Amino acid sequence: MRRNLAAVLFTAAVLAASACGANTGGSTAPPQTGSAPASTPSGPPDQVTVGVIPILDVAPIYLGKEKGFFSKRNIELKLELAQGGAAIVPAVISGQYQFGFSNMVSLLLAQSRSVPIKVVSNGNNSTGQDGNDFAALMVKGDSPIRTAADLAGKKVAANTLKNIVDTSVRQSVRKAGGDPASVQFVEMGFPQQPAALQSGQVDAVFVVEPFQQAVLAQGGRKIASSYVDVAPQLTIASYFASNQLIGQNPDLVKRFTEAMQESLAYADAHPDEARQIIGTYTQIAPDVIAKMTLPKWPADVNRDSVQKLADLALEDKLLEKPADVDALFL
Amino acid sequence: MRVLLGLAGLIGFGALLELVPRIGLVSDQYAPPTSRIAVALADQVREERFWTALADTLRTWGLGLAIAVLAGVVIGVVIGSIPVLRVATASTVEFLRPIPSVALIPLAVLLYGSTVTSTLILVVYASFWQVLVQVLHGVADVDPVARDTARSYRLGRVGTVRYLIWPTTLPYAVTGVRLAASVALILAITGELIIGSPGLGKEIAIAQASDAVPQMYALVVVTGLIGVVANLITRTAERQVLAWHPSVRQEIPS
Repeated sequence: MRRNLAAVLFTAAVLAASACGANTGGSTAPPQTGSAPASTPSGPPDQVTVGVIPILDVAPIYLGKEKGFFSKRNIELKLELAQGGAAIVPAVISGQYQFGFSNMVSLLLAQSRSVPIKVVSNGNNSTGQDGNDFAALMVKGDSPIRTAADLAGKKVAANTLKNIVDTSVRQSVRKAGGDPASVQFVEMGFPQQPAALQSGQVDAVFVVEPFQQAVLAQGGRKIASSYVDVAPQLTIASYFASNQLIGQNPDLVKRFTEAMQESLAYADAHPDEARQIIGTYTQIAPDVIAKMTLPKWPADVNRDSVQKLADLALEDKLLEKPADVDALFL
Repeated sequence: MRVLLGLAGLIGFGALLELVPRIGLVSDQYAPPTSRIAVALADQVREERFWTALADTLRTWGLGLAIAVLAGVVIGVVIGSIPVLRVATASTVEFLRPIPSVALIPLAVLLYGSTVTSTLILVVYASFWQVLVQVLHGVADVDPVARDTARSYRLGRVGTVRYLIWPTTLPYAVTGVRLAASVALILAITGELIIGSPGLGKEIAIAQASDAVPQMYALVVVTGLIGVVANLITRTAERQVLAWHPSVRQEIPS
């Protein structure tokens, strides 16, 4: 009898182990609700997960959620902070996220690899003001480098190689009359760049806020606004969805796009509220938030600027053949 | 006395970290003094977000550890008790065990995206081997005389496990659990930091992306404190579970 009891307990333990494994798999399964049939505004809200990154560029979607621009369109919005744009595209394809945020060069590269995604809303744009953008090419205060043309043979830090940062920096060099091919790029995350510039590890950095403020605080100097050099009011990033979701639930995509347009317009018109919301999803210090230069948030994508970006990506051999920019948009 | 000395060491270390940036050996922008980290920590613990992240990390850690221990003990006892299985699996175990768990991050992310499941896979994979290998050693350590005695008394398979193998294996298994507990914590934080599943690791990444250096160090300090507490708990549990074992029993004259 005793022996049988032990056998029963042993079996129970094994079953519990397998149940544990099954449970964890089930509870974190990607939500499938995004692909549910289009519901009328009176039905239960569509649960939508959007993959974003913890930077100021995505302030409008946080603000729009708080203002109810999504809930009034029957969208229950969940924002997930991903580690970087590279992780968001696969998650959108797999259906873990219904929408994602990514920069335009990454999306052009994805399109060239036939990844089935389309842009559904604008993300953020440069301010279009040379010397007063939310991102800048910067050098040390006492550096002999005066313009981007002086970067020939110098080391420049870029957060990701073969992406929007080096493409834009090369354009700054080209515009200043230098040889873009002679610039040596070093891959380095934004958080490490101010220290690397200070210690002389690199000769120049391309940083976005809040790291632009960090470089300014240590006496750094802006030599170019590379996003402005690419195109006036360059669309830097946008929100996208998988072709599968667009095909299955066009109504949801339409409501998301409308809510985004309202959110973008609101954030652009209310920079103080945008600054305030940035403090809720990042850890940026309040005094830095007050000083930062914010991006522009137009409601619509500047397609001419995306075409320019695609042309530069082709020229710099990031793309092998010309991109079909129109096909990238819904 | 020991506690006092330990505290003195800790305070000395804190004072050193306070002093080094203050006298300008390193930039206080990137290595803030202890006092500034303490202030940032005091700010953090007032926020709900911090406690949510802490709970997420503890949940991932606990769940991963539980699965690894259960699987390690059950599989270890089964493989260890059957000589054919033991020989057949030995080379496979020795091949799989040294694979660093973090090398599996791309695979986990491809399968499960940036979810808790991905991090759990890392945690379970890394801590499972710690338990399994200890249990295998434990099972192999059974006294041959005791084994023959059990056979003479015709103890069945279950009885052998219960009265012979398990008591011999327990001290090994407990050591395995203690090792697994710290490995699981390391991997839970790593997973959150790199994969981006919710928890303290992700908060560290966000603080880093926000150029909030003191906040980042404050969170790092918290992960260290969790490690200390985890070690205390496993050591206490070890003493409870092995109260009968000569290595723990105090009254045995040596």
